[in-house]
Amino acid sequence: MRLLPIAPLLVLILALLAGCATVTKVETGEQAVGARLVVRLEGPWNRIDAPGMGPAQVWTMEGLPVDQLLVYPGIKNGELVHASTGGSAKTFAFRSSMQPHEIVAMFEGMMTRDGSQFKLARLEPASFGGGKGFRFEYSVTRRSDSALLSGVAYGVVSEGELYAMLYHAPRLTFFPRHRGRVEQMARSAQLRAADAAALKASSGGGKRDCMRNPVTGMWTGC
Amino acid sequence: MPARFARPAPETDEGGLWAIMDREERRLRRSPFALRDAKLRAYVQEIACKLAGEHCPDVRVHLVRAPLFNASMAPNGMMQVWTGLMLRVDNEAQLAAVLGHEIGHFLQRHTLERLRDAKARSAFGQFIGLFGVVGALAQVGALAGMFAFGQEHEREADTIGTTLMRNAGYDPNEAWKVWANLVLEIRARPGGESASPLFATHPPAAERQEALIALARDAAAGGATNEAAWGEHVAPYRHEWLTEEVKRGVPEESLALLTRLKERSPKVAAYAWARGEVYRLRAGEDDLDRALEDYRAALAAGGEPPEAHRGIGLVHRTRRQAAEAKASFARYLEAAPQAPDFAMIKSYLEELSL
Repeated sequence: MRLLPIAPLLVLILALLAGCATVTKVETGEQAVGARLVVRLEGPWNRIDAPGMGPAQVWTMEGLPVDQLLVYPGIKNGELVHASTGGSAKTFAFRSSMQPHEIVAMFEGMMTRDGSQFKLARLEPASFGGGKGFRFEYSVTRRSDSALLSGVAYGVVSEGELYAMLYHAPRLTFFPRHRGRVEQMARSAQLRAADAAALKASSGGGKRDCMRNPVTGMWTGC
Repeated sequence: MPARFARPAPETDEGGLWAIMDREERRLRRSPFALRDAKLRAYVQEIACKLAGEHCPDVRVHLVRAPLFNASMAPNGMMQVWTGLMLRVDNEAQLAAVLGHEIGHFLQRHTLERLRDAKARSAFGQFIGLFGVVGALAQVGALAGMFAFGQEHEREADTIGTTLMRNAGYDPNEAWKVWANLVLEIRARPGGESASPLFATHPPAAERQEALIALARDAAAGGATNEAAWGEHVAPYRHEWLTEEVKRGVPEESLALLTRLKERSPKVAAYAWARGEVYRLRAGEDDLDRALEDYRAALAAGGEPPEAHRGIGLVHRTRRQAAEAKASFARYLEAAPQAPDFAMIKSYLEELSL
């Protein structure tokens, strides 16, 4: 899922209007996102699914495009961090060898593909998913409406896959309103051992894990 | 040159177009994408005025933060000049070539004809987007402004632009160089010219370049380039504009541009640094070696951005060369104590010291 550019956002809004998109409630408490990432939520979120989205899950508190939380539940080496755009030359893919600086640059490129502007405010080491990860704060000037957004993100590379959360919202009201719950969610994140996740998936026990539609990139069953 | 245009009657299609452009201009003045530097704006305005002659009072220059090659002039006199264009031109004369071309469209009122054509094709929204704040051009990409009109209008604007350059005392020979440099970038794209729909519907690049060379030949020889003045005015922004270029995510185009700039000005450390960043972020075969070479060239040139040291450190950290990485990170932290990634780099240093 691309974060800010207007074209995918327009597609999403049209999909919502056309009834192709679904909004589901993500309940308070422990939630599995993908095969390995588990977070604890202090309150419910809204999750948006629509054709053409992926690979991140898109959550929101206020509704799109006001605020959005992108949750990356394990991006593999070579996989794009945004929805494929067909022939576009501007694509941003994750590489397992990336350092935090390069991962931030990748997300920055993704968020500015439409001419929006990104400014890094802070990059620091942080625990995420029980691993040695990183945290960054940023601001974005969105091209489509000139809105000034603030953002916070966490990430970690585990077993060669990228797990990350990026949240941003208008800086004056909505970002301060929800920042605390995003930070809490990030602090609660844990990664199951890859072996345990595989066993859980094959046994079908407990909660169903997410599956991704290889055509649409949509995650279902979470 | 035609006499100054009177404001068209509001009930006409041209009057309606002016009203829309006036609204866009008000938005642009308030936009966070506007580059608010009175000195630089006045300098570019002065260049535009030299070209526009008696139309000068009708031309209002707005500088826009956007890393693509573009300038546009709306029929109400709103002229947008994007930072991506200012990064790419080598001197005042090259900027004058682009501005003169846009003024040529303005003087011939090509926009009005285009409006009528767009209306006929129900493409009005797309048309207006060309002049909006960081408008639809961003989606089309570099060079779109050079193709905004039909072939005949483009040729006419080239001819007028060359005459205006000559009249203002600029060397018309700089015009074809702007074009040649842009073509260099487009050809560097995966797929080259064929990947650009713009090239498919317009005169071949070589043909247009030849036409501009011929126009320059026909004009009287000589004229100023004012390269030093240009360099002095844009130097404070060079690092920022290069940073924006690096993050565009089109490494082949950026490398073509930065190689040209680096070869042209080998003593400017920022060009070598920026190319090193593109190589490091692309991280293809041999790219990290190339990145190191460029970072070191930046250091050798002197006055390098602190990020050149960080880049060297990151490459060595990737390669698990602890001693080299530590030394470069330490230099970066010393040179940039306020850097937003200070804490991250400090943690690398601590990790490498274990």
